Amino acid sequence: MQCRECRTEYPPVQLAVCESCFGPLEVRYEIDAVRAAFQSSFLADRPHTLWRYREFLPVFDDRAIVDLAPGYTPLRRAKNLESAIGTGEIWIKDDTVNPTYSFKDRPVAVAIAKAREWSLPAVGCASTGNLAAATAAAAAKARIPCYVFAPASLEPAKLLLPQLYGGIVVPIDGTYDDANRVALQVADRRGWGFVNLNLRPYYAEGSKTLLFETWEQLGFDLPDVIVAPLGSGLLLTSLEKGYRELSELGEARERPPRLVGTQPAGCAPIVRGFESADGRPKPVRKPDTIVESLAIGDPGSGFEAIRSMRATQGFADAPTDAEILEGVKLLARTEGVFSEPAGGTVVSTLKRAREDGRIDRDERVVLLITGNGLKTPAVWQDAAPPLAPIPPTLAAVDAYLGGRAHG
Amino acid sequence: MVRIVVASPIAAATRGEREFEVDFHGTLRGLFDLVTTKYGRQFQHRILEADGALRRFVNVYVNGEDARFLAGLDTPIARDATVDLLPAISGG
Repeated sequence: MQCRECRTEYPPVQLAVCESCFGPLEVRYEIDAVRAAFQSSFLADRPHTLWRYREFLPVFDDRAIVDLAPGYTPLRRAKNLESAIGTGEIWIKDDTVNPTYSFKDRPVAVAIAKAREWSLPAVGCASTGNLAAATAAAAAKARIPCYVFAPASLEPAKLLLPQLYGGIVVPIDGTYDDANRVALQVADRRGWGFVNLNLRPYYAEGSKTLLFETWEQLGFDLPDVIVAPLGSGLLLTSLEKGYRELSELGEARERPPRLVGTQPAGCAPIVRGFESADGRPKPVRKPDTIVESLAIGDPGSGFEAIRSMRATQGFADAPTDAEILEGVKLLARTEGVFSEPAGGTVVSTLKRAREDGRIDRDERVVLLITGNGLKTPAVWQDAAPPLAPIPPTLAAVDAYLGGRAHG
Repeated sequence: MVRIVVASPIAAATRGEREFEVDFHGTLRGLFDLVTTKYGRQFQHRILEADGALRRFVNVYVNGEDARFLAGLDTPIARDATVDLLPAISGG
């Protein structure tokens, strides 16, 4: 492992931050050894999960892997969305179909394997919802106790899911950042492995498989632009790391994809930091947005995410909640993919950026749709009036449809 | 007494001590000056930037409130305050 800040190196032990400067650590690989074991031609015979990139994942003992088969999700051309937005090539990386319906199954797969390698007594996470379900499900399969720290105000479906998987939800009266703080303290006192906290360097490795799969599914090529939602910023920095590793292997083109990050305007600490001269996130004390999964006021990887967006000539954007809901509907109605609001954030940023020219018409764009809309039904409860039943007769149907042509 | 609780990843700055008390009241800056006399300049270098601002890798909480949302290093510290030092790790 190596500190992203001061470059101090460490053996691959359970360490979350640099002991010298307290900066974030990242896993590094012996690239010559990876090159000897991994060739793109090998992929055809590998499992249809993120473990097809085994050489790039920091798990030593295969027996530690709890395989719920996350990853290798579809990448689909979105021609209807292209027409609706008036742009060139759009592809959707559909991570709504992971085992617990969000991309969080990827990083959790790696973190739980490390927890098993190190025989940790319990695992946990601080979560805005998606991570809670992913951690609890993997812990259930691994038969490890799981503790989820989450704001008590999360919508009910997101608090229910981890409990159904057997996890213990610790409902915190406060924001995500309050839950995160107390979880850090608990991790310290009890020796549990919190996947996104004290297992974070390993956890981050799972997310970069989104970049690898995109590369593979585009015929071993990378897009011009990737639009990703920003919570803590770790997904975006993981994409950047994935690109770096492909480059070191000699498998990626010279110019990296432009990394575009998006947050709701009601909680946009990374976007505001991107726009500022010092490039440091601007923490938000009380997030105010319907996009709960991105409501992280003090993003732990925000600084690095800003650096990654700037280094790749990307940008950061913050649509409003109203635009985000329209984005969810647009994606559902054009491409048949129902995403949680984070996906609407991605779609509305693409729309805004096409309108003002931040994304060119001839750029090939991949949208990361990271969570399933069925997890956030409460967002839509006021969107449609209750349906009044009609009698089961043709006449009643004709009257109900009111003479409109219906296909 | 002011109670200072240091998360283990940060405790390298306090020679491994994770919880201690000091007789103090004043500002957070003054408290860090006092702690520096106890653990040496390396404490200051690890917690503060060269220009004296809080480093971005360490979050400081005064009675559970993030010091950045209070008055930063000018945040008043009462005699019975609890100050937590945590690594800036958050979010999925």
